[in-house]
Amino acid sequence: MTGWEVPIGAAIAFAGGAIATGWAQSRIGSAGAGTVAERPEAAGIVIVLEAIPETLVILGFVVAAMIIIMVK
Amino acid sequence: MMDTGYVNARVRGMHSFLLDKKAFDILIVRPDLDSVISELEKTLYREDLERALVTTPGIHGFENALRYNLIRTFRKILRLVEGGTGERYVRIFLAKWDIHNIKTILRGKRVHVPASEIRDYLIPSGDLDEATLNELVKQPDLKAVIDLLAVWGYEWATPLTLHFGEFTQRNDLVILEYALDQYYYQWALSLIAGKTRDEKTIRDLISTEIDVTNIKCILSLNRDGIDAADSAQVLLEGGRYLDHNMLMMMVNEPTVTGLLKYLESTPYRFLLKLPVEGKRALMSVYQNALDIYLIKQGVAVFRCDPLSVSIVIGYLWAKYNEIINLRIIGRCKNIRISLEEIERELIYV
Repeated sequence: MTGWEVPIGAAIAFAGGAIATGWAQSRIGSAGAGTVAERPEAAGIVIVLEAIPETLVILGFVVAAMIIIMVK
Repeated sequence: MMDTGYVNARVRGMHSFLLDKKAFDILIVRPDLDSVISELEKTLYREDLERALVTTPGIHGFENALRYNLIRTFRKILRLVEGGTGERYVRIFLAKWDIHNIKTILRGKRVHVPASEIRDYLIPSGDLDEATLNELVKQPDLKAVIDLLAVWGYEWATPLTLHFGEFTQRNDLVILEYALDQYYYQWALSLIAGKTRDEKTIRDLISTEIDVTNIKCILSLNRDGIDAADSAQVLLEGGRYLDHNMLMMMVNEPTVTGLLKYLESTPYRFLLKLPVEGKRALMSVYQNALDIYLIKQGVAVFRCDPLSVSIVIGYLWAKYNEIINLRIIGRCKNIRISLEEIERELIYV
């Protein structure tokens, strides 16, 4: 039987990934907007770069899921 | 307030549109000015060339187009950094053009050059905008120009007003020009007296500029045989490697070779390798070498720190360098100077 530690741990893992993703996307987004303003042809690569930090939140989600499923 | 990442990305985007060595190679092999203009119309200069050449054809139109482009670029950069940390640095850089404009107007008024002719040499990219400069140019004499600057509350009027009495006594424009330069550099250095990396980078750049101005000044004074006491009055304070004592020792040297020896332990030692014609130096060779050094230092700031606002200053220097090179090509093509000579004159950074 687990107590409150498991959901709190999962929440921290997920929140950490989400906050980091938000911060990274805000920085990449502003730089990307600047790039596209001057070179519209770079829009494709900027969208790909903008999506890369999503991996952090996915990783956070996986870790959170593992905590909930595996910690008994 | 603009985000630094956004501004840097835009400036990097603008930097990527600067003409590279290959583009200059194409321009210099063009047979005449018209074909240089046709080639440039394929670039971002098109709009400015069309605007300028409609009213003034030939080399004057070409130079006006370059001037319009420079002004447009500087204004765009200022709009981008407005309200951000970079605004202070850009304003310091652009204030140089205010000083250039005031000096040009004062020189023009002194020898009674027509207002329209003075206007052709002005670059309204600093605090003094086009309308302000037009009003200044319309003034009948030097005193009226200075008074108008003071009435409008521009700080550049302070050194001019303070030294106007001395100027009228000695009738020497150098007094006003030196006062203006000294005031500008002290003002610039006081704005960047902090310890951040950006401030240090810009401070180093400005103090290098002071060194370069002082070396040029000492070489000219030596060539003209001006005595040491008078020379000391036109040296600027705040240099990076050359302090007042070192400058005074250089001023007291009778020969160019002698005064250049003091530069051996500084980064300006490259001047020692340049040719000296008899006792007097080939001034243009020294001045060009110093200008190239300064431009290289300015452009190098672009590569300093990718997250720093000082890359904006690096871009402004690179743009200025591009305009200088295009002006050289335009003028050389206009009077049909050889390819080799044009290549020698260009500053590749």
